[in-house]
Amino acid sequence: VSRARPPLALRALTYAGLSAVCAAVLYPVLLVIKKAFEPGHSFALSPSPVPEEVTLEHFRALWSATGAGGEPLLARFALNSALVALATTALGLVLSTTAAYALSRFRFAGRRASLTAFLAVQMFPATLLLMPLYVLLDRLGLLSSLVGLVLVYATTAIPFCVWTLKGYFDSLPRELEEAARIDGASAWGVFFRVVLPLARPGLAVTALFSFMTAWNEFILASTFLTEESSYTLPVLLKSAVGEYSAQWGLFAAGAIVTSVPVMALFYLLQRYLVGGLTAGSVKG
Amino acid sequence: VSAAATPGGAARAARRSALGAYAVTAALALAIALGSFVLHRNRSYREREHARARAAAEAIARGERPAAHLVAGGLVSAAQPSARYPFLRRRLVDGRPLGGPGAPPGDKILYDAAQRAEREGAQVRFADPDGALVLAARPAEGGVAVALVEAPGGPAGLPVGLLAGLLLLGALVAAGGAAAGPAPRALGLAIGGGALAAPSALWGGPAAAALVAAVALAGAAADRLGLLARAGAELRRQRIAYGFLAPAGLAMLVLVAVPLVVGLALGFYNHRHGTWTFVGLDNFVHILSGGGRALSDPLNFYFTLGVTVLWTAANVLLHLAIGVALALVLRQSWLGGRGVYRVLFILPWAIPNYITALIWNGMFQSEYGAVNGILSALGLDRVSWFSELATAFTANVCANTWLGFPFMMVVALGVLESIPRDMHEAAEVDGASAWQRFVHITLPHLRPALAPAVALGAIWTFNMFNVIYLVSGGAPGGASDILVTEAYRWAFERGERYGLAAAYATIIFLILLVWTVLGTRVTRREAPP
Repeated sequence: VSRARPPLALRALTYAGLSAVCAAVLYPVLLVIKKAFEPGHSFALSPSPVPEEVTLEHFRALWSATGAGGEPLLARFALNSALVALATTALGLVLSTTAAYALSRFRFAGRRASLTAFLAVQMFPATLLLMPLYVLLDRLGLLSSLVGLVLVYATTAIPFCVWTLKGYFDSLPRELEEAARIDGASAWGVFFRVVLPLARPGLAVTALFSFMTAWNEFILASTFLTEESSYTLPVLLKSAVGEYSAQWGLFAAGAIVTSVPVMALFYLLQRYLVGGLTAGSVKG
Repeated sequence: VSAAATPGGAARAARRSALGAYAVTAALALAIALGSFVLHRNRSYREREHARARAAAEAIARGERPAAHLVAGGLVSAAQPSARYPFLRRRLVDGRPLGGPGAPPGDKILYDAAQRAEREGAQVRFADPDGALVLAARPAEGGVAVALVEAPGGPAGLPVGLLAGLLLLGALVAAGGAAAGPAPRALGLAIGGGALAAPSALWGGPAAAALVAAVALAGAAADRLGLLARAGAELRRQRIAYGFLAPAGLAMLVLVAVPLVVGLALGFYNHRHGTWTFVGLDNFVHILSGGGRALSDPLNFYFTLGVTVLWTAANVLLHLAIGVALALVLRQSWLGGRGVYRVLFILPWAIPNYITALIWNGMFQSEYGAVNGILSALGLDRVSWFSELATAFTANVCANTWLGFPFMMVVALGVLESIPRDMHEAAEVDGASAWQRFVHITLPHLRPALAPAVALGAIWTFNMFNVIYLVSGGAPGGASDILVTEAYRWAFERGERYGLAAAYATIIFLILLVWTVLGTRVTRREAPP
């Protein structure tokens, strides 16, 4: 990283390029915001990202949608989504942290095979695990239950989390753990009191990914969940732009409501993102 | 004095280690025996109850009233238009109209059964998930004889006593053999472990018995060669590691490995109208031979494969180029507002990708889409994006590039941060130009560190269902579909060809596996520290 400033022309070009990327990144987002606050359900022809008229009707419609029993749907779906995502995060984090630690620190028979397996299962298209999973969950009596969904999401998130966390654990110095062992700490004690606090950035990123996996998924959710009371937000959103009528206004409002929590979480944890994601791969 | 030093102690130790080996063998044998028992029990229960229901339907067809266990049934007449509402097709059972206000709940089942039997001939099946009710229907004089029969008793219970007795006997034989010496020990393990072959033969035929015997022999051989003892020692030595790994391993085994194996197996079956038939490699042959379609047909496997490879290559290249370029620019210390740019540029990553995909689908709509709006504002012709492969593909790539470059940028930023600053400074002092520094310092650092991210990105893109499915939806006519969406359509949109879809999934899996093993070093790079 050079301290010298490049010539003005180059700097101007760089800023122009960055502005272009900013515009490209922001434009679709602004369009959605515009659509959410504009009356009517179809997209307007005008490519301008500024709404001509501002209304809250879509948010109001979203908010006041009620189910068969008169209960508010949006709150129900949001609650379902939050429960599923939080439970997935907790479960995925617990399972992948311990597994990644074992894979990073111990040399045992079957270690390489496990690592390869955790990588290989990501290659089988998740969409097509749908049929066998459907049968399996049905047999377990977990079809159309949020518990079944949590189990499926957690297991699909685990392989990626294990690899990310293992990379992170690899980058942590082992001397601290050895010192703790010499001082008489148990294996679990070392894990909980030494390793986990050090691995906080890696854990934050892993938690973020588990959460996003669950919060954003719609194919499995719309296949497994057959009762309206257990729908999650993505199922609602997908149905807003269904095959027969595209209610883009409602969709845009829903998209904002759905995206805001994820974005908040994302920006809360983004300072961990760079370190948490690359620690292992950099060192290797 | 240790226990093994005395002769009695040595025999005791031998017995104990032989019992450990026996436990492993017996657990496997027990699983096989239980599996064959369950299959056998279900089959004989089904045969028994189906025969009972069929007999009841026969009796009704003959005009008799079948005696016990009949829940509902009778001679159902052919469907007649109702006098009041001609669009209602009514059926009578023993002179009484089926359905209507106050009708018994079984009427719907009888009506449907009669309908199916008229169309497909005599049939018998379980009418509820528990298998407590059996429905039989056959065409008869004057309509369809339908019988809904309740099974008088459940299926046979598990012979716990028999199994426990055999297991105990096997343990005694194994322990006895072990006390007598090494050769009797192997014999004892083989015989003791094979004890369960007898009931397995009864339930699952010679195949199950042979399987149990093979397990017992393998157990004895493994014990003889010391494999079991070594595995046990490794398990004890690394019990913390295995303990840490076990929860995730178990979860993966149940919820990923089992469906995956089932998914792989389904590829060898054909699914038509709810029935599965084993067809061997037919599905694979059908797919890999192009299914008799021309190479230019979008449903031809090689056409889809070509689109998929192009799709993956285009996206990974764009992600990499844009991500690395932005990371390099954002590292420049003279750049103002770096934090702002960084926060802005990861925005696409933070938005759920199905929302992104649906937005881009809206933006590329030909009548009201924003992209055409911009084009016409610039005085250019509007494009009908989803009516040609090239434009639909471009739309997909645009959407996926938009949502995918931040990942690469963040990874590249992390890598750049890890390059020691003094290397650049030293090179600068030595008079290296910016370009030389990039080629000789930055690039050699970036390449190995980005390799795993690129490999992972390629796998994700290869299987990127949401963008293809929601942006172009495969338009026009499935041409822009990639392998995953194609497989999904065979399963859920083109007549439930589950077997064919599973074969597609297997092929995708194998392509990615071979590509990873041959082409990348993701696993090999992972060297012990």
